Amino acid sequence: MDLSQALATFFDESRDLLAEMERILLRAESGAPAGEEMNALFRCAHTIKGSAGMFGLDPVVRFTHEVETLLDRLRQGELVFSPALVGLLLESRDHMADLVAVATDGGGVDASVESALLERLRAAVGVPAATPAAASVPALVVAGAAEVEVEASGGGPIGNDCWHLSLRFEREVLQSGFDPLAMIHFLGSVGVVSHIETVVDALPDLAELDAELCYVGFEVALKSGASKAEIESVFEFVLDQSRITILPPHSRMEDFMALIEDSGEDKFRLGELLVACGSITENELARALAVQQAVTAPLRLGEVLVGQGAVQPAVVDAALARQKKVEERRSSEAKSMKIPADRLDALIDQVGELVIAGAATQLQARRANQRELQEAASNLLRLVEDVRDSALRLRMTPIGEVFGRFPRVVRDVARELGKDIELTISGADAELDKSMVEKIGDPLMHLVRNAIDHGIESPEQRTAAGKPARGTVSLNAYHESGSIVIEVADDGGGLNAARILQKAVDKGLVSAEANLSPADIHRLILEPGFSTAEQVTNLSGRGVGMDVVKSNVEALRGTLDIDSAPGRGTTMRICLPLTLAIIDGFQVGVGPATFIVPLDTVVECIELPDGAAGADYLNLRGEVLPFLRLRRVFAVAGDEPPRQNIVVVRFGGRKAGIAVDRLFGECQTVIKPLGRLFAGVSGISGSTILGSGEVALILDVAQLVHGAAAPAGAKVLAHTPAA
Amino acid sequence: MSKTIMIVDDSASLRQVVALTLKGAGYEVIEASDGRDALDKLTGQKIHLVISDVNMPHMDGLSFVREMKKNVGYRFTPVIMLTTEAGEDKKLAGQDAGAKAWVVKPFQPQQMLAAVSKLVM
Repeated sequence: MDLSQALATFFDESRDLLAEMERILLRAESGAPAGEEMNALFRCAHTIKGSAGMFGLDPVVRFTHEVETLLDRLRQGELVFSPALVGLLLESRDHMADLVAVATDGGGVDASVESALLERLRAAVGVPAATPAAASVPALVVAGAAEVEVEASGGGPIGNDCWHLSLRFEREVLQSGFDPLAMIHFLGSVGVVSHIETVVDALPDLAELDAELCYVGFEVALKSGASKAEIESVFEFVLDQSRITILPPHSRMEDFMALIEDSGEDKFRLGELLVACGSITENELARALAVQQAVTAPLRLGEVLVGQGAVQPAVVDAALARQKKVEERRSSEAKSMKIPADRLDALIDQVGELVIAGAATQLQARRANQRELQEAASNLLRLVEDVRDSALRLRMTPIGEVFGRFPRVVRDVARELGKDIELTISGADAELDKSMVEKIGDPLMHLVRNAIDHGIESPEQRTAAGKPARGTVSLNAYHESGSIVIEVADDGGGLNAARILQKAVDKGLVSAEANLSPADIHRLILEPGFSTAEQVTNLSGRGVGMDVVKSNVEALRGTLDIDSAPGRGTTMRICLPLTLAIIDGFQVGVGPATFIVPLDTVVECIELPDGAAGADYLNLRGEVLPFLRLRRVFAVAGDEPPRQNIVVVRFGGRKAGIAVDRLFGECQTVIKPLGRLFAGVSGISGSTILGSGEVALILDVAQLVHGAAAPAGAKVLAHTPAA
Repeated sequence: MSKTIMIVDDSASLRQVVALTLKGAGYEVIEASDGRDALDKLTGQKIHLVISDVNMPHMDGLSFVREMKKNVGYRFTPVIMLTTEAGEDKKLAGQDAGAKAWVVKPFQPQQMLAAVSKLVM
């Protein structure tokens, strides 16, 4: 049996459960979890242990068992949550994660860590550390099954080597769904049934017979080398309700007599059945019955049932209350299913082709100049667009998935540095493409670590500056004109512009004479090889600088902006497109070439004023608008037409204009990534195929805007001949 | 005709292993992720055995079995409950709900197969 796929599922599932566990534990720091939340916490450990057992991952099972025990005590209210306990559980969770990881990738865990944790867990539960916990995997133990081996010993053993089984199933056994025949059939797996007698004495008249009840019993002689427990386990599910008596080979006559007495059935009839089975001989039976004549054996009564009747109402009430809670919770949860990412990718790809084909159909319809056909084609295209939107939404994941790991990071890092820091998260439900969610995690992690390490001051410094000793780091996400903005903000000391400039000059990044605005100075920290921390803590110096964060963000077609005020803190703002697959585009033409401007960046379109023919800037209702000429940027052949248009675009808070020959309007654009050959081409983010089959380039507005607005961009326009 | 077994557990990996084991032994297997899902999947077809976890989100195992047993078609369907500890109160509640068989987690696939064989021929 190939378990590798199931094992992969187990690792995925464990990761989710461990994350859930961490989330609940972190919330537990501010208030003990109760009700369903406590249950969910317990269930995390419970499920991991149960599933790990299936795969024989004993180290995981052993350790998780201890965690589960502690959680169970907490759940039962026998222990209460304390900060120390939450800390211990968090550490234990980490160790569980390590154990699972080791099971995935091999390697080993630090045994001393485990034994220390185990000791603390046991101490918390109240088990003396010296006592080894009952961590062994219980194998199919069912309460009620007698654990004691019955030895056949002394006092006239009966001379046969068969087990004798006397089976009287409860009347309702069939209604419980149990099939006595299945069990007898299964006896064949522990031994050989050498003889079987069916006891039909209890059968009522046909008129009174209830077909749903079981009236028959069995006397079975079984040849087997199995232990009593093994044989008994065949009937484990019915032991509690049914009368199953198992006599080992060479049992004494008294045992058989006790069986006969206890049965409450006709002694002689049952005796005959035992003889028929070959378990005892006729002689032995006759002798024993003679001895019994005088003495009456006391009958046992099922007192247990009385107690059982008393306990039931309470149990039912508890179960009902629990069910109600579960129902309440359910209403707030949506059903979801997991789909392999590559299937979704394939779907999006196909939908992309569909959009192109739809656009081609519409184009042909327009050319054919048939009104009905045009109508049908535009209906079709509208539906295709709907399908496209739905398909893209499938890939949308809340950014909260990434944010979820930060409470723990902030807690741990702040403690390590002796800082008191609160993390606030907002906009965790803002959605973006799954692939982006995965890739934005590391850059965000770095920004958050930076905020804690370099941003927030020590409590003493903060108090001296008249700020609350507790610092705040906030993560915030929101949608803005087709993009998602993620902010990492701290209320720390802000960037020290003077020191950054000094450092940059020292490192030769800028000349000492350069006249830079504060914002330009701040951006210097994004240059490769820049670090202002006077003392390298063990958090920074991990080989990843802000320049890597910046390039990671840019690889996602995003931008990174810095907003910092001395004494009031720093905000790092990442702006990302929602998806990398399909965009709404605005089609423009320059000479024979067609370009696409992502529609979400387009603010307005204006005509290029006559007077601005040679300039790089124009007056847009009193505002200075830098613009660039696409014809020059991409060296498109041909002369400028007498009338040109400006597409005003905005990206990352900056506005710029793009001068083009013609405006074609909106279009569906499926992004086809550029080949490696074009990796170095700036100003273009991809290509697309138009409905006509022509290729159009998609403009990288972020780069163009920066180019138009930043001093470096002026070089592009420097070739502009004077008007 | 092969027998159909439903496995209800919130752990997908556990379901997969049980399903693989049972399919290997020639059973048909239906998977459900919690009690509610399981009820949704009881659509009138014959099910010869239900294996259900107790502690699950949305609808726990006991509520599920109680609901299932209300349906005349599944009144006599045998149920194996999966549990971590064989707690007596849980078992009594389970018997009340109509679940008489219990298997303790963690278990090996072969143990589950043995338990199933005792209930389904």
